[in-house]
Amino acid sequence: MYYISIKKEDWHRSLENLLTSHDIFVPVKDEFSLDYEPFRLSQAENIAYNTPKPATPLKNFFLPVRENVTSVRNNGRSRIIIGAPNCDVVALGLLDEIYLDEAFTDPFYRNRRMNTILISSDCFSVNDHCHCTSYGVKPYTMEGADMALLSEGDYIFLRVISDKGEELVRQLLFAAGVSDPERLLFAGQRHSETEALLAELNRGLPDYQATGEIVQRAGGNIWVKYASKCVSCGACTTICPTCSCFLLIDKPDFEKVKQMDACQYPGFERVAGGEDALFELSHRFRNRYMCKYVWRPQKFNSLACTGCGRCIEACIGNINKNELFMELT
Amino acid sequence: MASDTINIYKPLRATLEEVIEESPLIKTFVLIPDEEFVFKTGEFIELAVDGVGEAPFTPSSSPLVTDRLEVTVMKTGYVTRIMHELKPGAVMGIRGPYGRGYPISEFKGKEVLILGGGCGLAPIRSLLFTLEHMKDDLEKVILCYGSKTPADCIYKPLFSRLNSIDKFEAHRTVDVTDDDWDGPVGVATALLDQISVKIENSVAVVCGPPIMMKFGTIRLLEMGYRDDQIYLSMEKNMSCGLGKCGHCMMGEFFVCKDGPVFTYREIKHNPEIWK
Repeated sequence: MYYISIKKEDWHRSLENLLTSHDIFVPVKDEFSLDYEPFRLSQAENIAYNTPKPATPLKNFFLPVRENVTSVRNNGRSRIIIGAPNCDVVALGLLDEIYLDEAFTDPFYRNRRMNTILISSDCFSVNDHCHCTSYGVKPYTMEGADMALLSEGDYIFLRVISDKGEELVRQLLFAAGVSDPERLLFAGQRHSETEALLAELNRGLPDYQATGEIVQRAGGNIWVKYASKCVSCGACTTICPTCSCFLLIDKPDFEKVKQMDACQYPGFERVAGGEDALFELSHRFRNRYMCKYVWRPQKFNSLACTGCGRCIEACIGNINKNELFMELT
Repeated sequence: MASDTINIYKPLRATLEEVIEESPLIKTFVLIPDEEFVFKTGEFIELAVDGVGEAPFTPSSSPLVTDRLEVTVMKTGYVTRIMHELKPGAVMGIRGPYGRGYPISEFKGKEVLILGGGCGLAPIRSLLFTLEHMKDDLEKVILCYGSKTPADCIYKPLFSRLNSIDKFEAHRTVDVTDDDWDGPVGVATALLDQISVKIENSVAVVCGPPIMMKFGTIRLLEMGYRDDQIYLSMEKNMSCGLGKCGHCMMGEFFVCKDGPVFTYREIKHNPEIWK
């Protein structure tokens, strides 16, 4: 792993040049939100590097909301996705375990993963509900992406992590030199500052394992209490970077459409005979917590919650999972 | 690597050769797949009605036969209602086989007790074919089966045939009798009182409606079966069959991939398994 530096304007002109062979997405901030948009040189000044966090979770680039999974199509151009925060990068770990599972590899997910160069961006600030470090996730990427980006003054610094990242360095229009470690001193300082902010913001919040223990022990009342504000809209699961359940819909000629689905919707577990283990709203509500903090950890190595906090921000009932955990602690 | 070329979502086509009426609500679909179809007993398939939907079933035919496949289907929900209207010649879709079936090699040298109810006899029939094929390696096979009424019992000729096979015995009961029935009346679990089995050298297989599975398991434990001697065939909403879509989650398990056959020991820590 090493760093390269490139002048910001040269970086953006290099990206423009790469548009001939790649689709490129960057985080763009407007008055209301921060989200990925296709890169345009004319909009370069609106790119928000090192800022948490795009409204769209990274998973959406790999698991479209709806796609036909039986018709064979050209897999399209290579992509460069820039600006994913590390919580989203770490979240890909669980999706990889599920969708790249050797027994049943999802060819669509695999192709998208292979066709994508992922350039994450270290977080230099925090949002109200960010809590990655509580679950052992750093606010900067050292693995899992191809590069990580740090913007400082007129320069972009790129931490080159993978072979794919190295390959991209070679394709940059303007020669980017390996950066002198002295010039990277700011990075460590930024990381420490962000981690200190997160520690302060989330003081007392139980860690991932402890959360699993309190969720498993929790009696029915807490779920009924918090679920009383839930309307089963599924915003929390839609916006979650690790939620990846889906529904297969049959179309004529044995075509199948795969559409994102969620345990928060009524009927998710209903069987033909009518039995439905998640009929009660409070059971569905609890299911998401059990899945993320108890069941997935029993079965997979990757985190099922990376502390991005989007589910808290998205909830129209203002349900804050971390308040629930603090109440259980 | 095979997974580079395989589309896990794409079904294999199969032509419906024959439809056998087993009971007022249950039909057996005899299918001729476009390619050889190999499965192990207890594994399941997703059977699709074109453009309508697919549902999980464990084949009821012998795994030794690979050019035709029988699937026994109870008319229960949306897909099976339309499936029951299909006529020979219809083209259906098959995905699979999926999941973990019965650990047949572990049954060697043992007495196999099978407790079944209702349409649960479908996967059991496939198991019975397998056990018949390996009967020299088994001590005994006992089937205890219950249906709601005599008319609801499927594969009726199966019982006399089983009773004619060396080492096999089959018992039937009904919940509600009719004029022609002179056998036992009561739930399948009650048949367990009539049989003789060396529990320490036995395994028990349970397959049927959830309520029967629950009380069957409780009774088997009372009889002295250990939790790892009891094999349960769990039913959930297995939709993708690939351990991905999440509809069949039972605690930490994807029933479609980690099951559908579990020992009671593997799943008893989860109080919600009978739901």
